[in-house]
Order: sequence, then C-alpha cells, then structure tokens
Amino acid sequence: SVDMLMSSDKEEDSDVISEDSSLLTLRIRKKALERREETIIVDRACRQETLAYEMESHAIGKRPDNPTDVVEEGELLLTLNIFYPVIFQKHKDHKPYQTVLVLGSQKLTELRDSISCVSDLQIGGEFSSQPDQAPEHISKDLYKSAFFYFEGIFYNDRRYPECRDLSRTIIEWSESHDRGYGNLQSVKMEDYVFNDVSLKIGFPYLFCHQGNCEHIIIITDIRLIHHDDCLDRNLYPLLIKKHWLCTRKCFVCKMYTARWVTNRDSLAPEDPCFFCDVCFRMLHYDAEGNKLGEFLAYPYVDPGIFN
Amino acid sequence: MSAVPGLQADCEELLGAFQQADTVRFERFAELWRERRFHTVFYGRIRALERNKLTKKTLELAQQYFLPPYAFQIRVGALYLLYGLYNTQLCQPKQKIRIALKDWPEIQKFQQDLIDSQHYDAAYIFRRLRLARAFHFTAMPKLLSYRTKKKIEENEFKEEFKDPSNRVNSLITNDVLEELMNIHDHYQKMKCVISADKSQPDKALSLIKDDFVVTLKDITLEHQEWQQNRMKLFLNAKETDETENKKKDETLLQSEGSERASALARIKYRSYSAVAEASKSRRHRQVKLESSESAKSPSRSRKTSRRAQPTRRDSPEVRGEMEVAKETAAWHIGMPVIVEENSDE
Repeated sequence: SVDMLMSSDKEEDSDVISEDSSLLTLRIRKKALERREETIIVDRACRQETLAYEMESHAIGKRPDNPTDVVEEGELLLTLNIFYPVIFQKHKDHKPYQTVLVLGSQKLTELRDSISCVSDLQIGGEFSSQPDQAPEHISKDLYKSAFFYFEGIFYNDRRYPECRDLSRTIIEWSESHDRGYGNLQSVKMEDYVFNDVSLKIGFPYLFCHQGNCEHIIIITDIRLIHHDDCLDRNLYPLLIKKHWLCTRKCFVCKMYTARWVTNRDSLAPEDPCFFCDVCFRMLHYDAEGNKLGEFLAYPYVDPGIFN
Repeated sequence: MSAVPGLQADCEELLGAFQQADTVRFERFAELWRERRFHTVFYGRIRALERNKLTKKTLELAQQYFLPPYAFQIRVGALYLLYGLYNTQLCQPKQKIRIALKDWPEIQKFQQDLIDSQHYDAAYIFRRLRLARAFHFTAMPKLLSYRTKKKIEENEFKEEFKDPSNRVNSLITNDVLEELMNIHDHYQKMKCVISADKSQPDKALSLIKDDFVVTLKDITLEHQEWQQNRMKLFLNAKETDETENKKKDETLLQSEGSERASALARIKYRSYSAVAEASKSRRHRQVKLESSESAKSPSRSRKTSRRAQPTRRDSPEVRGEMEVAKETAAWHIGMPVIVEENSDE
C-alpha cells in the first residue's frame, strides 16, 4: 500500500537522531540537544509547560452526552486573543493574553460572561475598623455594564437594568466635532451572534467593562469546525491558553496568597504591604478584636487568582 | 512564528531533486524520500507542546509550495511532501494542513488538471488526504502569533521552482484565440455577403492579413519556447560559471543554437491546442540538448530571426511582438557566455 513507502522497516526510536543523518534540520537539532544535555541538570516539562499543553489539548475530540448539544458541521470557529489590562509595568512590552475559541453561532454575551478579569472581583471600600464586615458584593455584581467594539459598532450589554450604555460618551465625543471617525453606532450585545458581526483578522478591537477596565481583543483565526475538534457546545467559549501570573504572597508567612493590603500602616515595614487573612488579624487586632495602631486596610484580590 | 532551522533547506533540496528527476510519479518521489529518510525530520526527543508547534510550522512551510506561482512539477512534489509529512508526524491527534479559502479554487483546478492529464497517482494521493480529513479550511493562510520578531523574515524561495511568469500566455489563451478565429470567419463571411462575387470578398475590402490569427498563435508559442530555453540557459549558465570549462561552453552554445532552430521548426508543426497547460506537464518529454557540428548555428538562427522580423511587424494585433523580437536579440547578445565566445559571429 501507499503508506508502506513512507515508514521505515525496522524498529526505530524516535528520540534518537542517527549519526549519519543527511537532513540539515536534524543536524542542527542534534547540536541543540547536546548543548541542552550539557547545561540542564534535569530535563523535563515544568508545570507551566504541562499546564499549557493540557489547556491546549484537553478538549480535543470531546463529544457531548446530550446529542442536541453537538456542534453542527459548517460551524465557524474563531480564535480570539484577549489581552489583560496593564497592571504590572513589565507587561507593557509583552502583553500577556488568554486565547479563547468561540463558535460562530454563539452570542456575544456568552463571550462576555466567559472573560474572567481580576477587576471584576474587586471589593471597594476601606475596612480597617470592621474587618469582619467586608461585604460579599464584588464589582462584577455592582457594575454590570460592558461593551464590545467591532468595526465601528459598539455592542452594549443591556441585559440587566443596571447596565448603562458606556459607549454613549464616546459616540457623543466623536459626533461633537468632525474628528474623522465614521458613523459610530450603538446596539445591544445580546441580539448578536458572532456570525453577524463583521470582523477583521489581526485588527485590535476593544472590550470594556467596569467603566474603565479595557481589554484589547484580536481575532487570530477563523476556520471551519473539524471532526477532531471539541464538538460539545456547552464547553464553548473554550479557553485554550492562559498567561500564568505569579501570586503575591503574604509578607509575614510567605505561604498564603495575600488577601489584605494596608496603607500608612505603622505596624508594617513597607507601604503598601500585603497580608493573608490570618496574619492580618493577628498583627493588627488584639484578642478582643480592637484595632491596634493606625492603618488603612483594603481587601485585595490577586491577579493570579485565576491560575 | 520563527522558522524551524534547516527545514527550508531540506525541503528545497528534496523538491529540487524531484524536479531534476523530471517526472511526476509518486514512486520516484518515495525513493527520494526514503533515500533521505525524511520521516526522521520529527525525531529528536521533543516534548508534546513543542512537537505540536514544530509540526504546525513544518506543514505550513510545505503547504506554501503547493500553491501557485510554483511550477506544476513542484506543486505535485509539494503534494507528495505534504502527504508524507502528514502521515509520518508524531503528534497525536494529528496536526492539520491549513488551506485558505481563497486558495481552494486553484487547488480544485489543480486537481482537475491532474485527472485530465492522467496523473492518477497524484490525484489519488490528494483524495487520500481529503478522506483522512487532513485539511483545516481557514480564512487566512497564516496563523497569527504575537511575539515581536527581531527582524522581518523574508521568505526567499528558489527562482527555479517558480513557473516563468507567462503573461503573454495568460493574455492570448485558447479561448481568446478561438474567439478571434470565430470573429475573423464571421468578418470574412460578411465581406463576402456584401461583395459582388458571393464566393470571395472584394479586393478593395482586404484591409487585414487573412492569417493573422495563425501568426499570433505561432508567435505566442515561440515566446513560450524562448522563455523555457532561457530558463534552461540560466540554470546551465550557473553551473558552467563554476566549472569554467571552455569546451563545455562551446558545446552548450552550439546546442542552444540548434535548439533554437529546432524550436522554430517545431512551432510550424504544433497543433492548435498546445498553447497552454499541456506543454508544462509534458515538459519532461522535450527534446534533450544535443551538440551540433559547428558554431555556425547561432548565426544561422540569428539570421532566421532577422528574416522573421519583417513579417512580424505587420501583424497588427500583437502588442508584445516588438518586445519579443527585441528580447530574442537581447538573448543572443545579453548572455555573457555567448558574447565572449562568439564575438566574431
């Protein structure tokens, strides 16, 4: 048969590059391998690499239990890169991003719900006097407005009555003088699916939520769904790549993730200073729960919380 | 994405060898593949994540040779190469070949050409790939990535792989010539109808050359021949520059001259439909270079070209005819090898 012409006839170890290889690729690779053997003591996948590989391939070939959830043939699959907002200075050059796969027939709101941003979890307010009463409401519940901007059209999230049209400011600004921007429109996000949206590949678009938390979105690929892809509709939008952020640990125990941040703290060595819950209470409050010293305390959500 | 080091050189070497073998049979390609043990290109203790990336880049590189403007033989070689790489990859599940939407019509045309010219093994290979679901149907050919590159990499593929850009042929195609012939016939008939003598047009009405369509076809064919010869000359000149063998030059010259003469003779007997694709796929059956007796042939052929020029100038339809004449003359003069040897001719 035709296949036999390709494979070798004897048993071969795909890890070993033979000495007399005529391919330039292999000669170069062999040199790199030898260099690696000399310099690296233990050569195996680190946990970031394992995580990245797992994320990329965990959903391949999955089929749903419920046959109505199957992705139809002819469905489009979009690959989006969603960039994190700039929090750390070092991210200004190489912006970290997460990669999401969406189906063409999915609504924009589904994507909006699947974007996890640390600013959604912030709790506003100063709680040094009543540390036990830090409210459960996170910003995601309080400020629900968001919009996508694709090709001159703002898609606003209007599902809840609290949602406001954040894009109105921008549209009014562009219409006030002739600023060279064409007709900017504002529509409802929940009425549209990705198949209806006109897009350019590689062009940066915007997702804005919380009023001022902005994420750049770039579409890297559009293709038809394939037999080997994940065909379970419930798993989309599917996250396949995420940037790993190091979590900030408590200053005292250096073990637990920081949950509190203090400013102008007479008891802390630096400003701002991060504490886990236990160390925070042990240092700043006595056995009866009275506040010791002068400080301002805010609940802290670490960006690495999604790791 | 940064390229895999050495891979382009290996692929071009394999495709070059296939082109030299001057055939489109899969058995020949498989022999060349086995000689080089090309399936080992994925070896080397690569971990899963890196292996996926590497295989993707390999398939992307090979896929570029599959599309125009590459020569027919190179495209068939690229098809075989893709088949080989797809089947010998070590990734599980297999990485797919990305083809952009805009390229599909050309590929389908290519497949139709394969079937029409009875290269059934290549058509079978393509069908196997389709059945194995080896293709991703994408909007854009290249998958974007966002690492800042230190320098913009220019992909310089070898000139020899490319089909000579055949603008004259794409202008004067089969269809155009047929149309011209039809209109010409119709015109002649109209002239007959309005003349006194119903069987032939009035002498006063003969304003154009009657056989201009045939002349046009001949000139187009000649241009194509000349282009092919020039390519061969270019390739041979590269080799002879290195060896610097005077004797070789002479025989080369003589064979070029004789080829030119035989080419002119061949044109006269060529049939109507041989303008476009057929000649490309039958290139491997062309007359091989043979040495002729004396160095007089270049001058002879030059004279024939001079004789041919007056008739060519009269033909009204051909725009490029002046260009063809000039270029033919330039071909004789411009080549550095010929000038030194033939300064007295």
